[in-house]
Amino acid sequence: MSTVEHEATTDVGPGSSGRRWIGTNVPRKEDPKLLTGRAGYIGDLTVPGMLHAAVLRSPHAHARIRAVDTSAARALPGVVAVLTGEEALHHVNPMTSFCAEPVPQHAIAVDRVRYPGEAVAAVAATDRYIAEDACALIEVDYEVLPPLVDPVEAMDPGAVKVHETLDSNVVFHRSIDFGEVEADFTRADHVIRRRARWHRMGAQPIETAGAICSYDPFTHDMTVWSNTNFYNFLPWSFAGMLGVANNRLRMIPCPVGGSFGSKHLINKVISIAGSLTKAAGCPVKFLEDRLDNIAANDNVGCDRSYDAELAVSDQGEFLSLRMKIVDDYGAYFQFAHGQHGNALAQPTGPYRIGSVGYDLSAVLTNKVQQGFFRGAGADPGNFILERLVDAAAEELGIDRVELRRRNFIQPDRFPFTVPTGNVYDSGNYEPVLDRALELAGLESWQAEKERMRQQGRYLGIGLATCQERTGYSASEWWILYDKPPLPATSTPESVKLDVDATGNVRVAIGCPLWGNSPETVVSQVVAEEFGIDPAAVSVGYADSTSGALSAGPGGSRVTIMLSGAARGAAGTIRAKMQRIAAHAMEIDVADVECVDGTFQAKGVPSTAMSMADVAMRAHLFMHDNPAGEASGLVETFTYDHPFSSPPTADRKDMGAFYPMVSHACHIPIVEVDPETGAVTVLKYYVVNDSGTLVNPALVEGQVVGGIVQGIGAALMEEYIYDADGALGTPSFREYLLPSMHEAPEVIVEHRETPSPFTEYGVKGVGEGGRLVAPTAIASAIDDALKPLGVWIDELPMTPERVVEAVASAADRMVTG
Amino acid sequence: MKPAAFAYLAPSSVEEAVDRLAEHGPDARVLAGGQSLVRLMNTRLATPSVVVDVNRIPDLDHIGADNGTVHVGAIARQRSCELAPLVRSRVPLFAEACSQVAHVSVRKRGTVVGSVAFADPCAELPAALLALDGQVVARSRAGERVIDADDFFVGPFENSLAPDEFAVELRIPVTAVERTGSAFVEVSRRHGDLPMCGASTVVQLDEDGAVANARIALCGVGQRPMRARDTEDLLLGQRPADELLAQAAELTAAATDPIGDCHASAAFRRHLARVLTRRSLQTAVARARKEDTDA
Ligand SMILES: Cc1cc2nc3c(=O)[nH]c(=O)nc-3n(C[C@H](O)[C@H](O)[C@H](O)COP(=O)(O)OP(=O)(O)OC[C@H]3O[C@@H](n4cnc5c(N)ncnc54)[C@H](O)[C@@H]3O)c2cc1C
Repeated sequence: MSTVEHEATTDVGPGSSGRRWIGTNVPRKEDPKLLTGRAGYIGDLTVPGMLHAAVLRSPHAHARIRAVDTSAARALPGVVAVLTGEEALHHVNPMTSFCAEPVPQHAIAVDRVRYPGEAVAAVAATDRYIAEDACALIEVDYEVLPPLVDPVEAMDPGAVKVHETLDSNVVFHRSIDFGEVEADFTRADHVIRRRARWHRMGAQPIETAGAICSYDPFTHDMTVWSNTNFYNFLPWSFAGMLGVANNRLRMIPCPVGGSFGSKHLINKVISIAGSLTKAAGCPVKFLEDRLDNIAANDNVGCDRSYDAELAVSDQGEFLSLRMKIVDDYGAYFQFAHGQHGNALAQPTGPYRIGSVGYDLSAVLTNKVQQGFFRGAGADPGNFILERLVDAAAEELGIDRVELRRRNFIQPDRFPFTVPTGNVYDSGNYEPVLDRALELAGLESWQAEKERMRQQGRYLGIGLATCQERTGYSASEWWILYDKPPLPATSTPESVKLDVDATGNVRVAIGCPLWGNSPETVVSQVVAEEFGIDPAAVSVGYADSTSGALSAGPGGSRVTIMLSGAARGAAGTIRAKMQRIAAHAMEIDVADVECVDGTFQAKGVPSTAMSMADVAMRAHLFMHDNPAGEASGLVETFTYDHPFSSPPTADRKDMGAFYPMVSHACHIPIVEVDPETGAVTVLKYYVVNDSGTLVNPALVEGQVVGGIVQGIGAALMEEYIYDADGALGTPSFREYLLPSMHEAPEVIVEHRETPSPFTEYGVKGVGEGGRLVAPTAIASAIDDALKPLGVWIDELPMTPERVVEAVASAADRMVTG
Repeated sequence: MKPAAFAYLAPSSVEEAVDRLAEHGPDARVLAGGQSLVRLMNTRLATPSVVVDVNRIPDLDHIGADNGTVHVGAIARQRSCELAPLVRSRVPLFAEACSQVAHVSVRKRGTVVGSVAFADPCAELPAALLALDGQVVARSRAGERVIDADDFFVGPFENSLAPDEFAVELRIPVTAVERTGSAFVEVSRRHGDLPMCGASTVVQLDEDGAVANARIALCGVGQRPMRARDTEDLLLGQRPADELLAQAAELTAAATDPIGDCHASAAFRRHLARVLTRRSLQTAVARARKEDTDA
């Protein structure tokens, strides 16, 4: 259950006092269609004459493709088109990439495969069964090359190169000191040093990536139905890849059955369906199956090793943070180093730390590529920082709660600029911590821990106090480059709102349904602005021809941005209706107010005109309206990032690029069996502050879902590649996700410190649960096994790793 | 993830089923609960050209007992076996093992005989059958053959059935009641996963509290379920004190020959064999002494 505690704060924006719908648990509009199977996913969609595609994938991690024989596949009845990588290039261009380095990428490999599961050929056939039969008939002659599995070995100048176009497998290296790092370390009384390892994980949405592409060879029009995100943001990049003019491309969104950041582009799927529709002359659907998605999705998460140091004074004051990071990016660099831009938005967490040294080596290996996955680089960032804080507490003998208190940024210091230049809008961290400790009933858990110790059992109480940077600006993607290929700074969000002649409101939104709740949010905002019932607001999705520019969900931004766009559009239309009503009442527009869906002379309900009265005038009675007022009530409103600034040329100040900063304290309670390594999460307490809550129930869903995903990160999720480069976790039998059996009871409370930068004071919350839970659980395991001398520096903590940690701690105790 | 083309046959009698198997030989596979076979077919790891669905054969779902033996028919579900009072009272180890297979929804389809026939070296039921000295009854056109569990499990996913043979039932000797306890304990990555290791134990004590009979089998520690006969001999006639159980655990672990995978290395499986052998013995002994209240 979640409860909300309101901060006494200044009101932000007009109409914020006495809100009627913002902040209430309006029933989720998306639920009925999702729960009754009527959402209409890409998998449900059929287009007349449509073919189905399947892909043949490389069994090797690294190999030259000597020859591909597709003749038997082509001869199979029902097969319409077969394409190798080379052949696909007659129809499509290489995939879009955001990196500055020459790392070309094709949806179907050309000449060489660079990770196990990379596509080698694609088939379009009358059904998926035949398409898969045909794949089995394709013969590929491979010259197997040595696989690069270990990133440190890949860094060796003598190592085989993943891309001949690069001088080294270290595709990107940068070292920056933000502030006086050396000086801060010199004056430190203590330097806390820790290494940490965060393994490769993936989003694993239940619905895989899919697209239907339909090409008209005469008009050269291409229509794409898909579950991508960027159709209203970068449609021209898809057009370029598909080899069609952008004004001939129409991209239609489908509801998304889970993304967690993994479906921003899904270029491979769109490119494969696009090349096949051109080759076959009919529409083609390519929907990845589970094996496709696990092996070859675009967006596995970070794979980092940290060497980190925290400079601390005798009083426990944090002075500086220094990190050396090796990050295994896999075989391609499609999204460049974006995940580090992300981490640099909040490297110092909720603490006052004067300077940051950041040394990053991004390394290419023969694995599926990294991309964005819920947390997007700040997840391991929070892990290493909180581990250092706990280590400092232990080494300095200061209680971990007290040490955090001493270093929290105080509420009067906001907006607060962190050493990298990003700005935290607002925050009040101690009350969150205080309430979390109280909510968890720490004393009774402490007593329970003692009691269980008597029985030889190990209970652990975790603690983490972390940031969630939300609402990104596009500079995040290129911020570490001196010469970025596309130094974009816009991340717009748009809605088209119209009030029809009968006074009903319809909104077409630029972003897709990505598993969050944009229809509910927009309905609440529009209802708030007009004083009408959210249930009466109709919300749909605008395709790429609508002009509703939208960066969509990602970086925990969509509720912030949609609130801004919907409020902007509603405000514009409401103002126009006010002018028309004023004209009709023959009074000054300043004397007209909008109350409960009517327009009236201020304080005189008897003068009220209904939405329909005003709307009919607007649509059909131009001579009764103010001169120059165009007919109709329609507005496409684009809301740009509310508070961002570009980085400086030397990148020592990255500018404000992720400034709406939420905060949370997580306290998980776990039991660890040191003999079997089993970790059971017994109970989970959260106090969350993500600014003004638009809908507390929806926020709770985000937080709890993120925590369960964080349990996966903490205990089980991991891509494993064998020494020979084969993927050891090709299905959900090997790649383990938490199920309901691993989900504890989660108790969530909220505090609200509104953002001064956004409409209503909203901040984002989409990634918060997963940004905090892994490190919180690590600290809980640590706490449980403290009597055995265990220190957790690696995630996920699988049973085997737990037992190893216990054994090596025992060895240390003996030898040390 | 679509299977290769196959012919589907649904015989209505055991005779007809064995005829079909004889006709198609190694190209045919029996379909029971489908909880393993269908996955293998969808990923094309199995590509039988003929599938012989035995689910429509009447009277093959029996769970019964006579003369000290429990009989479990070829299409009796894991869930039915887990809940059957007859199984719970006469071969409690087997019911306990069933309860740890997968999730309820899988157990409601998956068959006991199918799990045994599948011979997954990590699976619970083969180990439990081995500890209980169970048997598999096989039928072919040539007639009936009764195979001891120890002879049935050959290697990973390999049993000793001929391609034209069909396992019609399991026979499990009833476990003694007097001063006897059993336990199936396992460790899996998540609830419902195949165990990394499991230990099944039956212990009978004599009137002085010494071990009169012990049977121990493990899963997840080798090419097939492992019977720990040396450990059984070690325990015989001894009082099950902590030290003895630790020694038994050590001996059992040493006898394992585990195969590592992404869930657990060989060394970790051997470590678990030690821990779980000790724990299963402790629980079985406690139950034999009626100390274990939730037995
Ligand atoms: C999510 C999930 C979790 C699981 N977890 C576990 C677990 O924790 N422990 C575990 O042990 N198993 C687990 N399984 C596997 C499950 O127990 C299967 O049911 C079992 O392995 C096979 O039984 P079945 O009746 O489904 O057989 P099928 O899948 O129909 O057949 C399996 C194999 O046995 C052969 N076969 C079946 N019956 C006969 C017969 N009478 N004679 C000859 N050959 C036969 C088939 O030809 C096939 O080769 C899990 C399965 C799933 C889907």
